[in-house]
Amino acid sequence: MSAPLVVLEKVSYFYPGAAVPALFDVDLAIPRGEILGLIGATGAGKTTLCLALNGIVPQFHGGRFFGAVCIEGLDSLEHPIHALAARVGIVFQDPDTQLVTASVENEIAFALENLRVPAAEIRVRVAEALAAVHLEAFSKKHPHDLSGGKQQRLAFAAALAMRPALIVLDEPTSQLDPKSAAEVFALVREINRTHGTTFVVTGHAAAELADVVNRIVVLSRGRIVAEGPPASVYTDAGLLAREHLRPPEVTSTFALLAARGLCPDTLAPVRLEDAIAAFPSLPPARAFYPPPVPFAVNGVPILALHDVTHTYSDGTAALRGVSIDLHRGDYVLIVGQNGAGKSTLLKHFLNLVIPTTGKVLIDGAPLATQSVSELARRIGYVPQNPDRQIFNATVEAEVGFSLTPLHLPVSERRRRIDAALKALNLSDFRHAHPFALSKGDRARVVIAAVLVMEPEVLIFDEPTTGQDDAGARAILDLTQRLHAQGRTIVVVTHHLHLMPGYARRAVVMGAGRVLLDAPIRDVYHTLPVLEQTFPRPTQLVSLARAAHPGNFSLTPGEFAASFEPLSGSTLA
Amino acid sequence: MSQPRFQTVGRHTFFSRLDFRSKLAVFISVTVIAALWNNPLYVGLLMLSVLAACIQTGISGSYLRLMFRVMAPFFILMLLTHGFFNKQHVLRLSGASHLTPWFTLPTSWWLVGGGMLSQEGLLYGITVLSKSMTFLLLVPLCVFTTDPNNLVLGLVRLRLPYKLVFVFSSSLRFFPLIFDEIQAVQETQRLRGHALETMGALERVRTYAKIAVPVILGSMFKAQQIEVVLQSKGFSGKADRTYLHASELRGFDRGVIALAAAGMGAAIVLSAAVGLGKFPGAQ
Repeated sequence: MSAPLVVLEKVSYFYPGAAVPALFDVDLAIPRGEILGLIGATGAGKTTLCLALNGIVPQFHGGRFFGAVCIEGLDSLEHPIHALAARVGIVFQDPDTQLVTASVENEIAFALENLRVPAAEIRVRVAEALAAVHLEAFSKKHPHDLSGGKQQRLAFAAALAMRPALIVLDEPTSQLDPKSAAEVFALVREINRTHGTTFVVTGHAAAELADVVNRIVVLSRGRIVAEGPPASVYTDAGLLAREHLRPPEVTSTFALLAARGLCPDTLAPVRLEDAIAAFPSLPPARAFYPPPVPFAVNGVPILALHDVTHTYSDGTAALRGVSIDLHRGDYVLIVGQNGAGKSTLLKHFLNLVIPTTGKVLIDGAPLATQSVSELARRIGYVPQNPDRQIFNATVEAEVGFSLTPLHLPVSERRRRIDAALKALNLSDFRHAHPFALSKGDRARVVIAAVLVMEPEVLIFDEPTTGQDDAGARAILDLTQRLHAQGRTIVVVTHHLHLMPGYARRAVVMGAGRVLLDAPIRDVYHTLPVLEQTFPRPTQLVSLARAAHPGNFSLTPGEFAASFEPLSGSTLA
Repeated sequence: MSQPRFQTVGRHTFFSRLDFRSKLAVFISVTVIAALWNNPLYVGLLMLSVLAACIQTGISGSYLRLMFRVMAPFFILMLLTHGFFNKQHVLRLSGASHLTPWFTLPTSWWLVGGGMLSQEGLLYGITVLSKSMTFLLLVPLCVFTTDPNNLVLGLVRLRLPYKLVFVFSSSLRFFPLIFDEIQAVQETQRLRGHALETMGALERVRTYAKIAVPVILGSMFKAQQIEVVLQSKGFSGKADRTYLHASELRGFDRGVIALAAAGMGAAIVLSAAVGLGKFPGAQ
């Protein structure tokens, strides 16, 4: 048996000034040709471990490092980063900052030029890498003119061209829509098969990881707490609960079926295909279609777009004849791949752009008559990146910042700040600096700062991006509480699997049009429309439709309930 | 929609096809000529020629307008300073014994009372303004029409340290990210109810000042990310590297460089010999 490609021995690491280790006593061997999944809650040490694999930790970041990392026998402390770069390629999560040149071919060539590869050889490798990621037609394009998925494929190609033994993908799909994410995972499989390249992939996308990796390592506070094939890690309910991790939907569904005595508990698939193959072990499924909860239709819509088109100055037609009504008490999910027009739609609600044609109304009156800041008191917008929203030195000042223009009496100002801090469980942090909090807590500070204006409508733009399962659930539970208090909620997200149980209505956008506006159950199961903007439905929807063509389940609970109970003899 | 970027010109023109070294030769030649000449008509025509070249190569009108808007207060100050106060220098240039009054401020005005705006001073102000504009327009003309990679190659071929050149070209890419960041933060402030357009000056300054925190933190974060990415791509800043594309001077590049050098030489000789480009009235 050949020696492992990568060996970590008793690796511990403290960032400069940190009292708590980012990695602690990590022992890990990665054989050649393996696809290794690295999972863990936010802050578990996944990125630090990735950066240790090519020497960036500790050579670039500094800090205290113990133990040893060896890649193809080279000690990461004894060889400069640029020497290790030829062996370990890294693809990061943010396409914006990892593309450093002005054309696709130059981007691929950049690392090779640094490694002093002759020009003739660079040309060969650029062509090979472009072909491997299917970007041959884009070689002369500016990287920023590519879609997010293509940008990640380009970053992939740049890593691949170095012909490294190992490619590390650090949350490569967290900022991509499902279609682009699927492209990246398909590429991992293909390159591993055709080139034999070893991969380390981190992320929260359980279904995709279960589908593609050979082994999973679970990190918790810098320590490895479990490792094994996806089938053993994702079926360890205790481990997943402790580490705030979510298994693939099919796994949690079969766990529920087993708990209800509907299938043997040894049947624990982690991949959709395996789950569907296990159907013969289940009793026959029934059709399931509960009548939809009627939408709130209370008089005049609070927000309405009538036949709105919007064309940007560069000629991009972002919206094409969009009509949509939002009523008080709605909880609406807006979905669609990047470029579908979701952001432009939201900008119209906030008066950040004006329609090229058509009307935008608030309570039946033209919205354009109100300034952005006036509207902000009625329509709260919670953007994706909390760090762009923090201006003040304390949590309390940050939340109060939104109230300054209102010139409220001191008592009313105090009441609102206290209520917002309490609603977001931030009362204990009121004197803390916002940047001293975790990213999840900073996101809550920003929500509190919007909530304090007591808006009638709250718009959440990708609120679960970059959050682990616990963080994502906490934010969505908050939206549910706010909805219960009578507020109108709009959520834009790619994480469809998280939304059943929260949103009632879903709007599907594609190519600047509303493709479907219906109850969430109907939208999730209208596969031909959904597939225009997503490559595949949620695992649960696929499972339900495979079980029975009339089964419209959305959650594992609904799916389990749609089976007849098994008799004891069948189980035996 | 595409990301913002510093290089704005997509149009393929003769000038955009030139090697960066040829453009640099044009830049140096025109700058020297503009510095040499003091005739407002000549310098004005030179400035208008560079402006026409900018328009012809596709420098966006919005960029040019922004530049004029930003520079307008300085230009006004320049005209007033030279028109009212730069008497000795203008007298020396024009060779006249006295300046032609055009306008005199009432003597009762505090500090500036009795100040005279001279015709020659104003003309000299226009000359200086045209010189400044020529230089300001040459920068986008040469930089915006060059692919950043060709810019790097051109400067490396001029034997500038690679690391310095890379920092320069990275800055071109990084600044739009910062402006994007500032714009996003300003938008957020408006979405938090802060109407900058209706605020008093003091309140506006305080609100603007708050932008610094997220912008600096965001920029530092992005800068560190880019540094990590560069390290991961084997970037060491050493000139000892290879290049996918060679940067070779072609025939028309050599022609342009020769023309630029000849033009500059001719301007210097003619200025010294027959006073070409001298200030009106000068001997």
